[in-house]
Amino acid sequence: MSRRLLGRPEPDAGQDDALARLREILRVTRPGADIELIGRAYEAAEHWHQGQTRRSGDPYITHPLAVAAILAEAGADDEMLCAGLLHETIEDTPYTLDALSREFGAKVAALVTETAALDHAKGQGRRRAARVMAAAESADARAVVIKLADRLHNMRTIQFIPQAKQLRKAGESLDIFAPAAARLRMDSIGAELETLACATMKRNRHARSASGRLLLAVAALLPAATRVRWCEEWLGELHTLPARRGRARFAIHTMLGIPRLAVTVRLPAPRHRRPGR
Amino acid sequence: MKYALKMTGPVQQVLRALLEDAAVPRYGLELSRQADLETGTLYPVMARLERVGWVESSWEDADLSISDGRPRRRYYQLTKDGAEQARLALAEISFRREKRRSGLGSPQPGPLEVPL
Repeated sequence: MSRRLLGRPEPDAGQDDALARLREILRVTRPGADIELIGRAYEAAEHWHQGQTRRSGDPYITHPLAVAAILAEAGADDEMLCAGLLHETIEDTPYTLDALSREFGAKVAALVTETAALDHAKGQGRRRAARVMAAAESADARAVVIKLADRLHNMRTIQFIPQAKQLRKAGESLDIFAPAAARLRMDSIGAELETLACATMKRNRHARSASGRLLLAVAALLPAATRVRWCEEWLGELHTLPARRGRARFAIHTMLGIPRLAVTVRLPAPRHRRPGR
Repeated sequence: MKYALKMTGPVQQVLRALLEDAAVPRYGLELSRQADLETGTLYPVMARLERVGWVESSWEDADLSISDGRPRRRYYQLTKDGAEQARLALAEISFRREKRRSGLGSPQPGPLEVPL
């Protein structure tokens, strides 16, 4: 084991767990893994994502670490593990593709680019599905495997993103990624994606009802930072109302209060306020 | 006395409902029934109470809601300080109301206080 990977200065608890898990998985599944290289990729990702957080509040690095752990379990090679750790650095940080290519080689850089490319063609569901499927059928489908690991971890932590986005991600998981996993014979990833996506759809079914859509539309008046919280809260309440009539009533009355709520949440915080939510 | 927020009727109704059992966290819909307020009135009041730190809200355990297949609910509860302040404020308001009604020792005698 690389000394660097083992002895990081005081990492976060969640991060520490994830790192330990990755190490343990690699020890079991890939005793010959290039720990020095993977350790460097981890350190680069940790460096470039410093200060960024996930929606859950966890340090961002926990995500690439979890992706790498999923990849390691699936028996991924060293290049894939590095690309998994670095997969968001080019798009979301000042790290450049040139630098990545110099430090980790052209193959890792190409994998990172290909993985990101699978995300593009946004809004064009069918075209994106075709693209992912074509990549899954190609001779080198490693980028798709990285994308699957990325999507799986995002689905595992989906409760932290807004409902509308949850539904879109769940839909994509069912339409694009679960079939791609099946094509690659990655059955356990495919099955977990399907289970998580179906549960998400079911949990958020009221977001698509007339009452839910009305509430979500008027909630656009709220500042983005608090909108998510209120929308989730109201959809939670909608869900407990058994009759459509009751849900419509709840939606209409709640909607009427949104303008005033929008004013309240925009007021500057009072001085004696306790520390944030 | 000046309070951290304006003690409007709905604010008082919510505080009374919460003080019935300050230790029990409640979700919005439940609270709207107990305080006899429409949700459109209740949620802005809750946001104001939270802003001044009288009330705290938190999500229920996500694992619980996920295993039930529904979104998480948000629970509200008076903070220790909030419960104290709310009790004081409500007591003072009802004391003043009483005093006004009985016409005894009003601090600012207006023309209406003078017997005709």
